[in-house]
Formats: sequence, C-alpha cells, structure tokens
Amino acid sequence: MLSYHLQNALRSLRRNPILTALLVGGIALGISVSTAFVALRHMYQQDFLPGKSHRVLFVRLDSWTTDHAFNPEDPDSVPDQLTYRDARALLRSPVPRHQTPTFITRMFVHPDPKVSRPYQPDVRLCFSDLFDIFGMPFRFGGPWSKEADAKPEQVIVIDDATNQKLFGGGNSVGRTVRLEDRDFRVVGVLAPWRPPLRLFELERNPAGPPEPMYIPFNFVEPLQISSSGNSAGWQGVPIRTFEEWLASESVWVQYWVELPDDAAAGAYSDWLRAYIQEQKKLGRFPRPIRFRITTIAEMVEELHLMPDGVKAMSVVSLLFLAVCSVNLVGILLGKFLARVPEVSVRRALGASRAQIFWQHVIECELIGVLGGALGVLASLGILHLLAQYMRNGEALRLDGEMLLISLFLSLVAGLVAGLYPAWRICSVPPAMQLKVQ
Amino acid sequence: MLEMSHIKKVYRTESIETHALEDLTLTVGAGEFVSVTGPSGSGKTTFLNVAGLLDTFDSGRYLLDGKDVSRLSDKEMSQIRNRTLGFIFQSFNLIPDLGVMDNVDVPLRYRGLPAGERRKRIDRALEMVGLSARKKHLPSQLSGGQQQRVAIARVLAGEPKLILADEPTGNLDSAMTREIMDLLERINAEGTTIVMVTHNPECAERAHRQLHVFDGRVIDVERPRVTLTC
Repeated sequence: MLSYHLQNALRSLRRNPILTALLVGGIALGISVSTAFVALRHMYQQDFLPGKSHRVLFVRLDSWTTDHAFNPEDPDSVPDQLTYRDARALLRSPVPRHQTPTFITRMFVHPDPKVSRPYQPDVRLCFSDLFDIFGMPFRFGGPWSKEADAKPEQVIVIDDATNQKLFGGGNSVGRTVRLEDRDFRVVGVLAPWRPPLRLFELERNPAGPPEPMYIPFNFVEPLQISSSGNSAGWQGVPIRTFEEWLASESVWVQYWVELPDDAAAGAYSDWLRAYIQEQKKLGRFPRPIRFRITTIAEMVEELHLMPDGVKAMSVVSLLFLAVCSVNLVGILLGKFLARVPEVSVRRALGASRAQIFWQHVIECELIGVLGGALGVLASLGILHLLAQYMRNGEALRLDGEMLLISLFLSLVAGLVAGLYPAWRICSVPPAMQLKVQ
Repeated sequence: MLEMSHIKKVYRTESIETHALEDLTLTVGAGEFVSVTGPSGSGKTTFLNVAGLLDTFDSGRYLLDGKDVSRLSDKEMSQIRNRTLGFIFQSFNLIPDLGVMDNVDVPLRYRGLPAGERRKRIDRALEMVGLSARKKHLPSQLSGGQQQRVAIARVLAGEPKLILADEPTGNLDSAMTREIMDLLERINAEGTTIVMVTHNPECAERAHRQLHVFDGRVIDVERPRVTLTC
C-alpha cells in the first residue's frame, strides 16, 4: 500500500508543478535556516569522540593553598591544570587504558633554507597515547612507540599542513625536522583533522586548530622545555632554576585519560583520592580532598564555550521552521479539499478513512523530504557564510548526524503542515460528491 | 442479498429537517436485477448511498448478504464496499489523470491483491467491456459510453456480489444506453445482483422487478412489461 500511496503522491505533485514548487520552497526555506543554526549548535554539542566520549576524561586536582580557592569567587573551584610532579605521579595509575600529560610550547623549526625560512610554531609535548585517546587520523606512519616515549627518542608527528610546507605533501616518514638544535625523525603525518574545538586544551584558544607538531613529553627535562601556555601558582617564592620550576606547585600541565569502561571511573576516583591522601602526608594538598574528572562535553558546558546566542538562534530557527510549516497548512488544505470528488470515488471503491489519511500524509512527507533536500543544499550556503565570521569556521559542516537531524526536521515539518489537511480530507463523507462530480 | 426494514434517514440543518428515507422496507434477492424509479428528491440516491454504505441511517435494520451492517466500523464498511459491492455512477466518476487500466486497478489496490492477480482481473474486465485496446487512454480521450464501460470494468474486476447503479445511462445517448443496458443484463445473467436507480422508464422495465420510491418510501412494486425499447 505504501508504494501505491507514493505513486498517488507523486502524481498529485506533478499535477500542479507551481503549487508543488511553492510547498517545497516553503519547507526548504525553513529547513535551510534551521539546519544551518542547529548545525552551529551541534558543533558545540556533538559527540566529539564517538563511542568513547564518556570515557575520555580531563583530570584536575585541587593542589591549591588554604588561603583561597583557585578561583577566589568559587570556593569549590579546582586548578585548571596540574603541577608537573602530579602529572608525573598520575602516570603510575594502572586504571586508565590510555593516559597522557600534555602542554604546548613554541620551538624554532629550521627547514631546508630552499624550502622555508626558520619559523616558530606551537609544538605539543605528549605521550603517544594522546593520538589514541583523541582518535587522530594519520595519513602516513603513525604514533611513536612506547619505547620512544620512555627514552625519549627524537621522533615527531607533524600535521598535514606542515608536511605540505616542509616536504611537499609526500610520505615524509623517516625524514627529519630540525627543532631548535636537534633533528627529530618523522614517524607520522596526520591526515587533515579539524575538530570544532581544540580538544586537548579547551581553556586556551578553544576555537583554534590543533597544533602542527607533536614530540614526546619526556623531553621536558633533558631539553628544559617550559609551557608557552598559561601557568599559575600560589607559593609566592622565587623560582631560580628549571628543577625548582618542575618541583614547584605551579600548574601548567593538562592531563587526559581514557578509561577502559564505565565502571573504571569509580576505581580511578578511588586511586586519585588515595594519591591526594598520600600527598597530604607529605604536606601537600592542604585543602580538603577535591578533584575533577570531566568529559569534553562537560568541559564545553563548564567553560561556556558555545558562543552566546547560538542556543537562542537554533531555537528561533526551529520556530521559523514551524512558522513555515504552519503557513503551508492553508495551501495544503485548499489543495486537498479540491480533491474531494476523487477521494469520494476512492472511498466508494473501498478506501478506508485511514488509507485516505495516510495517502495524504505521505504526500505531505514527500513534500517535506523534497523541501528538506533543497533546504540542506541551501543551508550549505548559509553555513559557508557563517563560517566566514568564525575562527573555527572550517569545522562547521553538515555531518551524517546533522543530515539525519535535517531529515527528521523535514519529516516533522511535512507532518505539521499536512496533518490537519489530511485529517480534514479523510473526514469527508464518502457520498459527498459522487453525484455531482 | 439486501434486506432493509423500516430504514429512516433524516438530514438536519439548523432550521430544516428533511426526511429522505421514511420507513423504507425492501428486500432484493440474490441474482435479481431490480430497478428503482421515482421523482427527483424522492430519496432514490439516499437509498442507494445507504445501501452502498456510503451514508449512515438513523434507524431501522439493514442486512447485506446476510450480515447486519447497522453498526460497522469505517474499516469494516470500506471492506464491504471493496469486496461485496460495486458502484456505477451517472457521471462515470473515473479519476481523470489515471489511465483506463489504472482506473480499473483502484479497487484492487485497496484490496491488496498481488500485481499478477490484479493484472489478470483488469485484462479480463476490459475484455468483457470491449476496451482491451484502450488500456493506456485517459478518460478524457474516451466517449461517454466508453467511460461508462471503463466504470463497469472497474466494478467487474472487483467481482462484487451486488452492483449499485445510480442513473448509469443518464449521461448517454440512446445507442450507448442500449449498449450499457445490454452489458448490465449480461453481468446479471452471470449471477451478479443489480440494483439500478433510473429516471428512464424504458431502462427500468428491463429489470426483473421495478420498485418505485416516493417521499422516502417504497410505494409501488410491479413486474416489468414484456416489450423493451431501451
């Protein structure tokens, strides 16, 4: 019966192309605007790491002073990063499947003079687990080994743009990049990868792109590398040497873990609690035991990363779609009621009220889907326009999930527009126009 | 086949009550060909609509093919219209943008028959009415008589037990009228019960039995005369 209803719906749409264009255009207008703004909101509320978002956690410990909380206005606040010594200590935990301390620095790159002049990009120090935790895609090679983490070896992962810039875009695995005064061997080249947010470090420049270069974290000590990002401290004593800096209570390292399963969150919390208690015995962590393990989505919420107005605009755009749909009710009602003679004949020949209802609902849904397809195409234009005004605009796109949402919205819009007209036409008494047709 | 007892049907507006059927009682046996005549407004079409489950009635009892149809759901009534009944209308009531074949297919679609079975029935019905060569034509490309034959083919394809015809020759010239009446007689001869409302006394006389409706009642029942000119 569905195919017959579809045939009838297509025949009905072909019967009056101008009216059909008007109906499809109405839905398309609403879908284009709503899809664009819902996509904008979706950019900040999507499942950033499909399948494991709830198991990838950002770790914070309250190692602050008793004088005041990290944020003096919020007594429950905890420092947004870890001290170097805590980051090192957390690596001992057996609970996470993957874990890495990480921070960024700036280092001079000395390319072949024929290719480029020296420049100073951001370089991220991390363990190779970072690539697994965030599912970073590789074009050539892959992450460095655990041995390279431990030693550390002079290995580097570069992004696609750097590979283009330094090596012309070919497979550069095995070639070297000179950082400061050392040669680092390329073990992996990332495929183009632009998450909507800078996932590793959401507190600083969250809309920015991921860093172009990655080297093992264990170079911190041999190369005496400091963070070029934020750091904060509370001790108020002068720090004279790099060793003092590493041993200080200054926080400047981010820490990420990926837990093996949902149940591991409890075990990891217990481990952190025990660690803080152990540190208390050593005279550290003077405040009450407090720590946070937070998903990316929770961080986005906590840091208010979604720009003001995005949520409101997405709601307004959905209301606009509703208005577009409701405006079509009258047109569809007129279109359907003009068909009373045909419906009377179909009723006389055995069509039930439900069959007439569904025939017309399916016609409305067909209008919805056609309008939705057109609207999605138009929304690409709107998104392109919006992207011009956003730092992370290149990450603004319609993914599979958004296309499904658009299809759903199209079907709902078709239903909103057609439900009442379909109900009216199926309620017409069957004998109404058989005599006068 | 059809048994109505004391059927009443009143149309009400804010100020007027119209008694369309007033204590209408009649019986039509299986295989009969009955004509129903009467002046305009006498209740013929209302009777046909009630008989065809296209309209409800206020009181009385109606047995169709032995089944009480007084309190059926819309779905049950639709199934009876689709499987037991066939309708032929004065103005043919073909769907204008469907071809001949697709028009004949409409009741079969609602019956949910498989495509092969539908195809067989359509071919057979169009052959019976002599329109096998016009399967792809639109109604607007056919004469009035041909359109009515398509409507009859639509009924035949459904193989109903009872055909309700409302002025089936009302829009046709005399030659076409004869052709359609011949066709109806043939169908009836094969065992299908026919109840035909008509204004044309000559057509009415070709039925086995004539009923006369006046003011919503069957007031006259008589045997047909022998000489038929229709």
